[in-house]
Amino acid sequence: MRYLPLIWSAVMRKPARTILTLLSVTVAFTLFGLMIGLNATFDEIAARARADRIFTNARFGGNGMPIAVAHQIAAIPGVKVVTAVSGIAGYVQDPKNQVFVAMVDSNLPKVFGDWGISQDLWDVVQKDRTGIVMSESQATRWHKKIGDTFTMVSKQMKRADGSSAWTFKVLAIGPDFQQNSNGYIFGNYDYIDKARPLADQGKIGEADLLANDPATSTELAARIDHAFANSATPLVTITEKLARAGNDFGGLDIKKITRGIALAGMFMVLFLTGNGIAESVRERFAEFATLKTIGFSSRAVTMLVVLEAALPCILGAALGVGIAAFLAGKIPALMPPGFGIPLPTMSPMVMLWAAISAFTVALLSAALPILRLTQMDIASALSGRT
Amino acid sequence: MLRQIWIVSALNFRSLKSRFWQSMVIVVGLAATVGVMLSMLSVSTGMRQAYYASGDPNRAIVVTKGVEQEPQSSITRAQAPLIAVAPGIAKDKDGKPLADRALMTSVPLLRKDGSKGFTTMRGLSEKGLGVRPEIKIAAGRMFQAGRRELIAGVGAQMMFRHMQIGDKVILPDGEWPIVGIYKTGDQLEGQLLGDTETLVTALHKPVYTTMLVRLASPASLDTFKKALTVNPALSVDVVRHSDWYKRVGDQNTFALALLGYVVGTVMAIGALFGCLNTMYSAVSNRGREIATLRALGYGAFPVAVSVILEAMLLSITGALIGAAIAWALYDGKLDLFGNVVFHLSVSPAQIELGVIWAAAVAMVGGLFPSIRAAKRPVVEALRAV
Repeated sequence: MRYLPLIWSAVMRKPARTILTLLSVTVAFTLFGLMIGLNATFDEIAARARADRIFTNARFGGNGMPIAVAHQIAAIPGVKVVTAVSGIAGYVQDPKNQVFVAMVDSNLPKVFGDWGISQDLWDVVQKDRTGIVMSESQATRWHKKIGDTFTMVSKQMKRADGSSAWTFKVLAIGPDFQQNSNGYIFGNYDYIDKARPLADQGKIGEADLLANDPATSTELAARIDHAFANSATPLVTITEKLARAGNDFGGLDIKKITRGIALAGMFMVLFLTGNGIAESVRERFAEFATLKTIGFSSRAVTMLVVLEAALPCILGAALGVGIAAFLAGKIPALMPPGFGIPLPTMSPMVMLWAAISAFTVALLSAALPILRLTQMDIASALSGRT
Repeated sequence: MLRQIWIVSALNFRSLKSRFWQSMVIVVGLAATVGVMLSMLSVSTGMRQAYYASGDPNRAIVVTKGVEQEPQSSITRAQAPLIAVAPGIAKDKDGKPLADRALMTSVPLLRKDGSKGFTTMRGLSEKGLGVRPEIKIAAGRMFQAGRRELIAGVGAQMMFRHMQIGDKVILPDGEWPIVGIYKTGDQLEGQLLGDTETLVTALHKPVYTTMLVRLASPASLDTFKKALTVNPALSVDVVRHSDWYKRVGDQNTFALALLGYVVGTVMAIGALFGCLNTMYSAVSNRGREIATLRALGYGAFPVAVSVILEAMLLSITGALIGAAIAWALYDGKLDLFGNVVFHLSVSPAQIELGVIWAAAVAMVGGLFPSIRAAKRPVVEALRAV
């Protein structure tokens, strides 16, 4: 503590340099926070993914699976409950405003209860065939409140009368969940099924289910695929755990990319702080010699330099991660709708890594100046001959 | 004036060696910024190039009215012949129109690392090769119409497992053997090709996805388009193939490119503070030098310009180093995003962008220190030493 005035005067010797260094470090750690925070979100999604939840899709084509498949899957031993899912992809008013409504049967809360759709909420939606539940973010995006009408156009999903306009009634607004920054809209499967041309009725896009035993769910998924391998609709079945396990982002290794960006930022900062501290020590070489002369140990002098280097790093890291946390909350409003990247999370791990990186940068920047100071010849330094 | 700028700048550059590490802050800062930005943009640029290359101004694509992407379109069997007989389509040697009834389905495959991916299986009808002459067999042979067999693109072969001649791909009605490998030089290389009619049977789906026609000449698009739009039996959009892929390419790479620019901007701001720091301390360290020059009669303007020039030189050097690293690491590398197989690209245009980025940072990062250098009273600066 008693070194504090010394460090403060060292840091404030050239305020412009200190402030610019701090700003640069802050920017680098903002980027660091966003990037590593994104990794944390992916990790959290993977951790929250349930081993006993299984997604089944038609191996080929979208809305091409007879609903009978869902009933047959429900009868397979080891399956607890199945929900049939279909979807309407389209737009609101202008093709630029893409929207997707998932149409699900009565079992939705049993399979996806942990996604914020409670039984009570779903009961409300099921009272009216045209009812939907929107997440808060979707409700904000389309400026809807409970009781409003929501109309979308779908070129892919035509109604029996040939029209492509689908009208829903907003009956509930549900909570968002972090893994899906796009939010959701759920409607009743019955509605689209009965409204479609006869030839399209009874088709679903996806069957999602819970297994009785999470430990054997991978094997159950394989059994489901096998059972339908030679049917008219071969399936691809995968557990949620496996589906979310990879750092998969359309085949890009998102973790490698985010770490690379964060590392490049740190490298940039390392040169800046390293140069700053070296310059500061060089300018005050005689002062350090004086400190040593009046009895400061080598260790104390080393501490002084390390702390001087650490101050902007630690402060910048704290500010940067703080800004990143602030920006993460703003991303849905800043990015175009439907961007589809989950929000970065400033988890304790992110903060820990930020702190470790800040200390590493500080130590590395201070290393060379410290080496010079320990090898210093006090007499010649005092006389300014170095 | 120019001569003064030249002399002062040359003096600066000669003293750079003594300020090596300090100058490296700018070089490394911009190298990291431009390196990261161009590495990220290599994905969106490469992908966009693959899309652009797939289009041909001599072709027109016919899709369901209002759809944005090929898989959303569907052309019925009754509509297909109406489209094929429309005027404006080039004729083959046998006098038949060069119109390809295309069918697309997505096929789950295993990526080389074992993770689950998918690609597009595309049906090609009898005039398919006439419409798309860029399809060249690289190994094996072409698939035969009516047979349940397919050919795989060189890109697909490199990105997915089990893509050798003789391997089998699971399709709705069983396994189809791969009988050949093809090259196109565009986005089609990441896909699989088979016979349209056989695929229609296999998918139990009696519709085509799109129609692709070769135009008699690039100018006959209007004739063709008019004939289809006035036909009440059709509700389709006709788009020049190159325009179609330009739009799809821009649309599908927009988010990725935006991400690259956002990260590039944030890093540039970080580098800017580093640049300001370095240039301020360079100006203050050389206070005596600058004051001497001013005393000798050199103007304030040449001094200011020389500071900005120095920042420019260092920044652009950094940008070029960053671009070189990004280019060496990624340019030309085969990659996969979604179901699009493409080559990463660090093009001259991207490098130019990196240099402009660096010049902008140097401009701002050099401007304020240069003003300070120019404004400092000569006497005071000389006395300070």
